[in-house]
Amino acid sequence: MSNKRAREERREQRLAEESKVESKDRRTRLLQFGAGAVFLAIVVVVILIVVNGSSSSSSSGGDAKNVKEVAEVEKLLSGIDQEGMTLGDPKAPVELIEYGDLQCPICKEYSEEFLPAIIEGQVAQGQAKITFKNFVIISEESYPAGHAAIAAGEQGLGWSYIETWYRNQGEERSGYVTDEFMTSIAKAVRVPNMKKWNEARNSPAVKKEVEETTSEALNKLHFNGTPSFAIQGPGTNGLELLGTPESVGDFEEAINAAS
Amino acid sequence: MRVPSEANLRRVIAFVAAVGIGVATYITIADSGGGHPQCLAGGTGCATVAASSYSHIAGVNIAVFGIVGYILLLTSAFFANDAARFGGFAVALGGFGFSVYLTYLEIWKIEAICQWCVASAVLMTIQFALNATRLIGYAGIDDDAPGPEEAELQT
Repeated sequence: MSNKRAREERREQRLAEESKVESKDRRTRLLQFGAGAVFLAIVVVVILIVVNGSSSSSSSGGDAKNVKEVAEVEKLLSGIDQEGMTLGDPKAPVELIEYGDLQCPICKEYSEEFLPAIIEGQVAQGQAKITFKNFVIISEESYPAGHAAIAAGEQGLGWSYIETWYRNQGEERSGYVTDEFMTSIAKAVRVPNMKKWNEARNSPAVKKEVEETTSEALNKLHFNGTPSFAIQGPGTNGLELLGTPESVGDFEEAINAAS
Repeated sequence: MRVPSEANLRRVIAFVAAVGIGVATYITIADSGGGHPQCLAGGTGCATVAASSYSHIAGVNIAVFGIVGYILLLTSAFFANDAARFGGFAVALGGFGFSVYLTYLEIWKIEAICQWCVASAVLMTIQFALNATRLIGYAGIDDDAPGPEEAELQT
Protein backbone atom coordinates (compact mmCIF):
# COMPACT_ATOMS: atom_id res chain seq x y z
CA MET A 1 0.00 0.00 0.00
CA SER A 2 2.77 2.37 0.95
CA ASN A 3 4.64 1.46 -2.25
CA LYS A 4 1.60 2.34 -4.30
CA ARG A 5 1.23 5.66 -2.51
CA ALA A 6 4.89 6.46 -3.03
CA ARG A 7 4.55 5.65 -6.74
CA GLU A 8 1.55 7.97 -7.02
CA GLU A 9 3.41 10.72 -5.26
CA ARG A 10 6.37 10.30 -7.60
CA ARG A 11 4.01 10.33 -10.56
CA GLU A 12 2.32 13.53 -9.38
CA GLN A 13 5.68 15.10 -8.78
CA ARG A 14 6.82 14.13 -12.26
CA LEU A 15 3.62 15.51 -13.81
CA ALA A 16 4.04 18.74 -11.87
CA GLU A 17 7.62 19.07 -13.09
CA GLU A 18 6.57 18.32 -16.65
CA SER A 19 3.85 20.91 -16.41
CA LYS A 20 6.35 23.42 -15.07
CA VAL A 21 8.75 22.71 -17.92
CA GLU A 22 5.91 22.93 -20.44
CA SER A 23 4.77 26.22 -18.93
CA LYS A 24 8.33 27.56 -19.11
CA ASP A 25 8.62 26.45 -22.75
CA ARG A 26 5.33 28.12 -23.59
CA ARG A 27 6.50 31.30 -21.90
CA THR A 28 9.78 31.26 -23.80
CA ARG A 29 7.94 30.68 -27.07
CA LEU A 30 5.50 33.53 -26.41
CA LEU A 31 8.27 35.95 -25.49
CA GLN A 32 10.18 34.96 -28.63
CA PHE A 33 7.07 35.60 -30.72
CA GLY A 34 6.62 38.92 -28.91
CA ALA A 35 10.20 39.97 -29.65
CA GLY A 36 9.72 38.95 -33.29
CA ALA A 37 6.52 40.99 -33.48
CA VAL A 38 8.30 44.05 -32.06
CA PHE A 39 11.08 43.66 -34.64
CA LEU A 40 8.52 43.28 -37.43
CA ALA A 41 6.58 46.35 -36.25
CA ILE A 42 9.76 48.46 -36.20
CA VAL A 43 10.63 47.33 -39.74
CA VAL A 44 7.10 48.09 -41.04
CA VAL A 45 7.01 51.56 -39.44
CA VAL A 46 10.48 52.42 -40.76
CA ILE A 47 9.51 51.26 -44.27
CA LEU A 48 6.30 53.32 -44.18
CA ILE A 49 8.18 56.42 -43.06
CA VAL A 50 10.94 55.96 -45.66
CA VAL A 51 8.40 55.37 -48.47
CA ASN A 52 6.43 58.45 -47.44
CA GLY A 53 9.55 60.53 -47.02
CA SER A 54 10.71 59.73 -50.54
CA SER A 55 7.35 60.63 -52.08
CA SER A 56 6.51 64.20 -53.04
CA SER A 57 7.87 66.63 -50.51
CA SER A 58 5.24 68.38 -48.44
CA SER A 59 7.13 71.65 -48.42
CA SER A 60 7.13 71.97 -52.21
CA GLY A 61 3.32 72.11 -52.36
CA GLY A 62 1.13 70.80 -55.13
CA ASP A 63 0.49 67.60 -53.21
CA ALA A 64 -2.94 66.26 -54.09
CA LYS A 65 -2.73 63.70 -51.32
CA ASN A 66 -2.08 66.24 -48.64
CA VAL A 67 -4.13 69.43 -48.84
CA LYS A 68 -3.00 71.71 -46.04
CA GLU A 69 -4.21 74.78 -44.16
CA VAL A 70 -7.86 74.06 -44.91
CA ALA A 71 -8.87 75.08 -41.40
CA GLU A 72 -6.87 78.30 -41.55
CA VAL A 73 -8.72 79.31 -44.72
CA GLU A 74 -12.03 78.24 -43.20
CA LYS A 75 -11.31 80.42 -40.18
CA LEU A 76 -10.23 83.40 -42.31
CA LEU A 77 -13.37 83.33 -44.44
CA SER A 78 -15.77 82.33 -41.70
CA GLY A 79 -18.91 84.47 -41.56
CA ILE A 80 -18.08 86.36 -44.78
CA ASP A 81 -20.42 86.07 -47.78
CA GLN A 82 -19.14 84.34 -50.90
CA GLU A 83 -21.03 84.75 -54.13
CA GLY A 84 -19.50 83.54 -57.35
CA MET A 85 -15.91 84.76 -57.22
CA THR A 86 -16.73 87.65 -54.91
CA LEU A 87 -15.96 87.70 -51.21
CA GLY A 88 -17.80 90.06 -48.90
CA ASP A 89 -21.12 91.78 -48.52
CA PRO A 90 -22.65 92.11 -52.02
CA LYS A 91 -23.86 95.58 -50.95
CA ALA A 92 -20.39 96.75 -49.92
CA PRO A 93 -19.75 100.14 -51.59
CA VAL A 94 -16.21 99.35 -52.74
CA GLU A 95 -15.15 96.51 -55.01
CA LEU A 96 -11.50 95.49 -55.11
CA ILE A 97 -10.77 93.29 -58.11
CA GLU A 98 -7.80 90.94 -58.24
CA TYR A 99 -6.63 89.69 -61.60
CA GLY A 100 -4.68 86.61 -60.67
CA ASP A 101 -3.30 83.34 -61.94
CA LEU A 102 -3.62 80.35 -59.67
CA GLN A 103 -0.14 79.18 -60.66
CA CYS A 104 1.43 82.54 -59.89
CA PRO A 105 3.75 82.47 -56.85
CA ILE A 106 3.45 86.23 -56.25
CA CYS A 107 -0.35 85.84 -56.12
CA LYS A 108 0.23 83.22 -53.43
CA GLU A 109 2.33 85.72 -51.47
CA TYR A 110 -0.40 88.33 -51.74
CA SER A 111 -2.99 85.80 -50.73
CA GLU A 112 -1.03 84.81 -47.63
CA GLU A 113 0.60 88.07 -46.59
CA PHE A 114 -1.55 91.04 -47.66
CA LEU A 115 -5.11 89.96 -48.29
CA PRO A 116 -5.87 88.32 -44.92
CA ALA A 117 -5.59 91.72 -43.18
CA ILE A 118 -7.96 93.28 -45.73
CA ILE A 119 -10.38 90.34 -45.48
CA GLU A 120 -10.44 90.43 -41.69
CA GLY A 121 -10.72 94.21 -41.70
CA GLN A 122 -12.48 96.18 -44.41
CA VAL A 123 -14.16 93.17 -46.07
CA ALA A 124 -15.50 91.66 -42.84
CA GLN A 125 -16.74 95.10 -41.80
CA GLY A 126 -18.72 95.46 -45.04
CA GLN A 127 -16.73 98.39 -46.41
CA ALA A 128 -15.38 96.44 -49.36
CA LYS A 129 -15.76 93.20 -51.29
CA ILE A 130 -13.05 91.44 -53.29
CA THR A 131 -13.61 89.80 -56.64
CA PHE A 132 -11.14 87.36 -58.13
CA LYS A 133 -10.83 87.29 -61.89
CA ASN A 134 -8.66 84.77 -63.69
CA PHE A 135 -5.82 86.29 -65.66
CA VAL A 136 -4.06 83.35 -67.27
CA ILE A 137 -0.46 84.31 -67.78
CA ILE A 138 1.77 81.49 -66.51
CA SER A 139 0.79 78.59 -68.76
CA GLU A 140 -2.09 76.66 -70.27
CA GLU A 141 -2.44 74.71 -67.03
CA SER A 142 -3.88 77.82 -65.41
CA TYR A 143 -7.02 77.50 -67.52
CA PRO A 144 -8.37 74.31 -65.92
CA ALA A 145 -7.34 75.73 -62.54
CA GLY A 146 -9.41 78.84 -63.20
CA HIS A 147 -12.35 76.74 -64.40
CA ALA A 148 -12.21 74.67 -61.21
CA ALA A 149 -12.25 77.81 -59.04
CA ILE A 150 -15.22 79.32 -60.89
CA ALA A 151 -17.08 76.00 -60.63
CA ALA A 152 -16.52 76.06 -56.86
CA GLY A 153 -17.74 79.67 -56.89
CA GLU A 154 -21.02 78.50 -58.39
CA GLN A 155 -21.54 76.59 -55.16
CA GLY A 156 -20.56 79.52 -52.96
CA LEU A 157 -16.98 78.43 -52.34
CA GLY A 158 -14.97 80.37 -54.89
CA TRP A 159 -12.75 82.12 -52.36
CA SER A 160 -12.41 79.02 -50.20
CA TYR A 161 -11.14 77.28 -53.32
CA ILE A 162 -8.61 79.91 -54.43
CA GLU A 163 -7.31 80.61 -50.92
CA THR A 164 -6.85 76.89 -50.27
CA TRP A 165 -5.26 76.52 -53.69
CA TYR A 166 -2.69 79.24 -53.00
CA ARG A 167 -1.79 77.64 -49.69
CA ASN A 168 -1.13 74.37 -51.49
CA GLN A 169 0.26 75.80 -54.70
CA GLY A 170 3.06 73.85 -56.36
CA GLU A 171 5.89 75.10 -58.50
CA GLU A 172 4.61 76.84 -61.64
CA ARG A 173 4.53 74.71 -64.80
CA SER A 174 5.63 71.66 -62.82
CA GLY A 175 2.60 69.63 -63.86
CA TYR A 176 0.98 69.58 -60.44
CA VAL A 177 -2.25 71.02 -61.84
CA THR A 178 -3.93 67.68 -62.40
CA ASP A 179 -7.53 66.54 -62.13
CA GLU A 180 -6.51 64.82 -58.90
CA PHE A 181 -5.10 68.03 -57.41
CA MET A 182 -8.08 70.14 -58.46
CA THR A 183 -10.48 67.53 -57.09
CA SER A 184 -8.54 67.29 -53.83
CA ILE A 185 -8.88 71.04 -53.29
CA ALA A 186 -12.61 70.85 -54.07
CA LYS A 187 -13.06 68.00 -51.59
CA ALA A 188 -10.95 69.76 -48.97
CA VAL A 189 -13.14 72.86 -49.08
CA ARG A 190 -16.19 70.57 -49.06
CA VAL A 191 -17.83 71.49 -52.34
CA PRO A 192 -21.30 70.09 -51.65
CA ASN A 193 -22.06 68.69 -55.10
CA MET A 194 -18.96 67.26 -56.77
CA LYS A 195 -20.90 66.06 -59.82
CA LYS A 196 -22.19 69.58 -60.44
CA TRP A 197 -18.69 70.98 -59.85
CA ASN A 198 -17.25 68.60 -62.45
CA GLU A 199 -19.92 69.52 -64.97
CA ALA A 200 -19.46 73.24 -64.34
CA ARG A 201 -15.69 73.26 -64.73
CA ASN A 202 -16.02 71.61 -68.12
CA SER A 203 -18.85 73.81 -69.30
CA PRO A 204 -18.37 76.22 -72.25
CA ALA A 205 -19.71 79.13 -70.17
CA VAL A 206 -17.04 78.73 -67.49
CA LYS A 207 -14.28 78.28 -70.08
CA LYS A 208 -15.48 81.39 -71.87
CA GLU A 209 -15.45 83.36 -68.62
CA VAL A 210 -11.75 82.65 -68.03
CA GLU A 211 -10.92 83.65 -71.60
CA GLU A 212 -12.90 86.86 -71.22
CA THR A 213 -11.35 87.92 -67.92
CA THR A 214 -7.88 87.15 -69.27
CA SER A 215 -8.59 89.20 -72.35
CA GLU A 216 -10.03 92.01 -70.21
CA ALA A 217 -6.87 92.17 -68.08
CA LEU A 218 -4.54 91.98 -71.04
CA ASN A 219 -6.25 93.96 -73.79
CA LYS A 220 -8.61 96.31 -71.99
CA LEU A 221 -6.75 97.11 -68.77
CA HIS A 222 -3.28 96.46 -70.23
CA PHE A 223 -2.00 94.63 -67.18
CA ASN A 224 1.19 92.76 -67.87
CA GLY A 225 1.61 90.66 -64.75
CA THR A 226 -0.16 88.97 -61.88
CA PRO A 227 -1.48 89.82 -59.45
CA SER A 228 -2.90 93.11 -60.70
CA PHE A 229 -5.60 94.99 -58.88
CA ALA A 230 -8.33 97.43 -59.79
CA ILE A 231 -10.90 99.17 -57.61
CA GLN A 232 -14.26 100.84 -57.99
CA GLY A 233 -16.55 102.60 -55.57
CA PRO A 234 -18.33 105.90 -54.83
CA GLY A 235 -14.97 107.68 -54.53
CA THR A 236 -13.57 106.53 -57.86
CA ASN A 237 -14.20 107.59 -61.37
CA GLY A 238 -15.30 104.21 -62.65
CA LEU A 239 -12.73 101.43 -62.51
CA GLU A 240 -9.36 102.65 -61.29
CA LEU A 241 -6.25 100.59 -61.79
CA LEU A 242 -4.07 99.97 -58.75
CA GLY A 243 -1.48 97.79 -60.41
CA THR A 244 0.33 95.87 -57.70
CA PRO A 245 0.04 97.59 -54.29
CA GLU A 246 3.08 96.95 -52.16
CA SER A 247 1.64 96.79 -48.67
CA VAL A 248 -1.49 96.22 -46.63
CA GLY A 249 -1.47 99.98 -45.99
CA ASP A 250 -1.63 100.66 -49.75
CA PHE A 251 -4.71 98.44 -50.04
CA GLU A 252 -6.39 100.05 -47.04
CA GLU A 253 -5.66 103.52 -48.36
CA ALA A 254 -7.06 102.65 -51.78
CA ILE A 255 -10.24 101.22 -50.25
CA ASN A 256 -10.71 104.27 -48.02
CA ALA A 257 -10.19 106.58 -50.98
CA ALA A 258 -12.73 104.64 -53.03
CA SER A 259 -15.35 104.68 -50.26
CA MET B 1 11.75 44.48 -10.83
CA ARG B 2 8.22 43.77 -9.69
CA VAL B 3 5.09 43.95 -11.83
CA PRO B 4 1.53 44.68 -10.71
CA SER B 5 -0.91 41.79 -10.37
CA GLU B 6 -2.43 40.61 -13.63
CA ALA B 7 -5.90 41.41 -12.33
CA ASN B 8 -4.89 45.03 -11.84
CA LEU B 9 -3.22 45.18 -15.24
CA ARG B 10 -6.38 43.81 -16.85
CA ARG B 11 -8.53 46.40 -15.06
CA VAL B 12 -6.34 49.27 -16.26
CA ILE B 13 -6.17 47.84 -19.80
CA ALA B 14 -9.98 47.66 -19.88
CA PHE B 15 -10.32 51.22 -18.58
CA VAL B 16 -7.81 52.69 -21.05
CA ALA B 17 -9.44 50.73 -23.90
CA ALA B 18 -12.86 52.11 -22.95
CA VAL B 19 -11.50 55.67 -23.01
CA GLY B 20 -9.87 54.89 -26.38
CA ILE B 21 -13.18 53.66 -27.80
CA GLY B 22 -14.73 56.97 -26.70
CA VAL B 23 -12.01 59.08 -28.38
CA ALA B 24 -12.02 57.06 -31.63
CA THR B 25 -15.82 57.06 -31.75
CA TYR B 26 -15.91 60.85 -31.35
CA ILE B 27 -13.45 61.28 -34.25
CA THR B 28 -15.48 58.88 -36.42
CA ILE B 29 -18.81 60.59 -35.70
CA ALA B 30 -17.34 64.07 -36.22
CA ASP B 31 -15.91 62.99 -39.57
CA SER B 32 -18.96 61.08 -40.79
CA GLY B 33 -21.11 64.18 -41.15
CA GLY B 34 -18.60 65.78 -43.51
CA GLY B 35 -17.17 67.76 -40.61
CA HIS B 36 -14.13 67.28 -38.43
CA PRO B 37 -13.30 66.94 -34.73
CA GLN B 38 -13.18 70.20 -32.81
CA CYS B 39 -9.75 71.04 -31.46
CA LEU B 40 -9.71 72.61 -28.04
CA ALA B 41 -8.71 76.24 -27.49
CA GLY B 42 -9.59 77.20 -31.07
CA GLY B 43 -6.84 75.11 -32.64
CA THR B 44 -7.15 74.40 -36.34
CA GLY B 45 -5.05 71.23 -36.56
CA CYS B 46 -7.99 68.84 -36.30
CA ALA B 47 -9.68 70.19 -39.43
CA THR B 48 -6.41 70.12 -41.37
CA VAL B 49 -5.65 66.54 -40.35
CA ALA B 50 -9.24 65.48 -41.10
CA ALA B 51 -9.05 67.06 -44.56
CA SER B 52 -5.80 65.27 -45.33
CA SER B 53 -6.00 62.16 -47.49
CA TYR B 54 -4.01 60.36 -44.78
CA SER B 55 -7.08 60.44 -42.55
CA HIS B 56 -8.73 57.69 -44.62
CA ILE B 57 -7.57 54.29 -45.82
CA ALA B 58 -9.59 52.91 -48.73
CA GLY B 59 -12.32 55.40 -47.91
CA VAL B 60 -12.52 54.32 -44.28
CA ASN B 61 -11.64 56.81 -41.56
CA ILE B 62 -8.63 55.52 -39.66
CA ALA B 63 -10.48 56.17 -36.39
CA VAL B 64 -12.68 53.19 -37.31
CA PHE B 65 -9.58 50.99 -37.19
CA GLY B 66 -8.89 52.56 -33.81
CA ILE B 67 -12.32 51.56 -32.53
CA VAL B 68 -11.75 47.98 -33.69
CA GLY B 69 -8.33 47.90 -32.02
CA TYR B 70 -9.62 49.25 -28.71
CA ILE B 71 -12.52 46.77 -28.73
CA LEU B 72 -10.03 43.91 -29.22
CA LEU B 73 -7.92 45.26 -26.36
CA LEU B 74 -10.98 45.54 -24.14
CA THR B 75 -11.93 41.96 -25.00
CA SER B 76 -8.43 40.69 -24.22
CA ALA B 77 -8.70 42.18 -20.74
CA PHE B 78 -11.59 39.84 -19.91
CA PHE B 79 -9.48 36.69 -20.21
CA ALA B 80 -6.49 35.52 -18.18
CA ASN B 81 -4.82 33.16 -20.63
CA ASP B 82 -1.88 33.21 -22.98
CA ALA B 83 -4.04 33.81 -26.05
CA ALA B 84 -5.45 36.98 -24.49
CA ARG B 85 -2.02 38.07 -23.23
CA PHE B 86 -0.34 37.62 -26.61
CA GLY B 87 -3.37 38.84 -28.58
CA GLY B 88 -3.58 41.99 -26.48
CA PHE B 89 0.14 42.57 -26.86
CA ALA B 90 -0.01 42.09 -30.66
CA VAL B 91 -2.95 44.49 -31.07
CA ALA B 92 -1.35 47.07 -28.77
CA LEU B 93 1.94 46.75 -30.66
CA GLY B 94 0.15 47.23 -34.00
CA GLY B 95 -1.77 50.21 -32.61
CA PHE B 96 1.37 51.73 -31.13
CA GLY B 97 3.34 51.29 -34.37
CA PHE B 98 0.48 52.81 -36.37
CA SER B 99 0.31 55.73 -33.91
CA VAL B 100 4.04 56.37 -34.34
CA TYR B 101 3.53 56.45 -38.11
CA LEU B 102 0.49 58.76 -37.85
CA THR B 103 2.33 61.12 -35.51
CA TYR B 104 5.18 61.23 -38.03
CA LEU B 105 2.63 62.13 -40.75
CA GLU B 106 1.11 64.87 -38.61
CA ILE B 107 4.44 66.49 -37.83
CA TRP B 108 6.31 66.07 -41.11
CA LYS B 109 3.72 65.62 -43.85
CA ILE B 110 0.44 67.21 -42.80
CA GLU B 111 2.22 69.80 -40.64
CA ALA B 112 -0.72 70.04 -38.25
CA ILE B 113 -1.47 68.40 -34.93
CA CYS B 114 -4.89 67.06 -34.05
CA GLN B 115 -5.34 66.90 -30.28
CA TRP B 116 -7.72 63.94 -30.54
CA CYS B 117 -5.21 61.97 -32.60
CA VAL B 118 -2.51 62.77 -30.04
CA ALA B 119 -4.86 61.60 -27.26
CA SER B 120 -5.41 58.31 -29.06
CA ALA B 121 -1.66 57.91 -29.67
CA VAL B 122 -1.00 58.43 -25.96
CA LEU B 123 -3.66 55.86 -25.05
CA MET B 124 -2.16 53.35 -27.49
CA THR B 125 1.29 53.95 -26.01
CA ILE B 126 -0.10 53.25 -22.54
CA GLN B 127 -1.81 50.12 -23.90
CA PHE B 128 1.45 48.92 -25.39
CA ALA B 129 3.29 49.42 -22.09
CA LEU B 130 0.53 47.65 -20.11
CA ASN B 131 0.21 44.71 -22.49
CA ALA B 132 3.97 44.27 -22.79
CA THR B 133 4.20 44.21 -18.97
CA ARG B 134 1.36 41.70 -18.84
CA LEU B 135 2.97 39.41 -21.43
CA ILE B 136 6.43 39.54 -19.89
CA GLY B 137 5.12 39.13 -16.37
CA TYR B 138 2.50 36.44 -16.88
CA ALA B 139 3.16 34.56 -20.15
CA GLY B 140 3.13 30.80 -19.60
CA ILE B 141 1.03 30.86 -16.46
CA ASP B 142 -1.79 28.34 -16.64
CA ASP B 143 -5.23 29.70 -17.34
CA ASP B 144 -6.75 28.50 -14.13
CA ALA B 145 -3.72 28.98 -11.94
CA PRO B 146 -4.15 31.73 -9.35
CA GLY B 147 -0.97 33.45 -10.55
CA PRO B 148 1.42 35.40 -8.40
CA GLU B 149 0.03 38.58 -6.98
CA GLU B 150 3.38 40.17 -7.57
CA ALA B 151 5.39 38.10 -9.94
CA GLU B 152 9.06 38.56 -10.24
CA LEU B 153 9.86 39.86 -13.71
CA GLN B 154 11.84 37.01 -15.11
CA THR B 155 13.78 38.82 -17.77
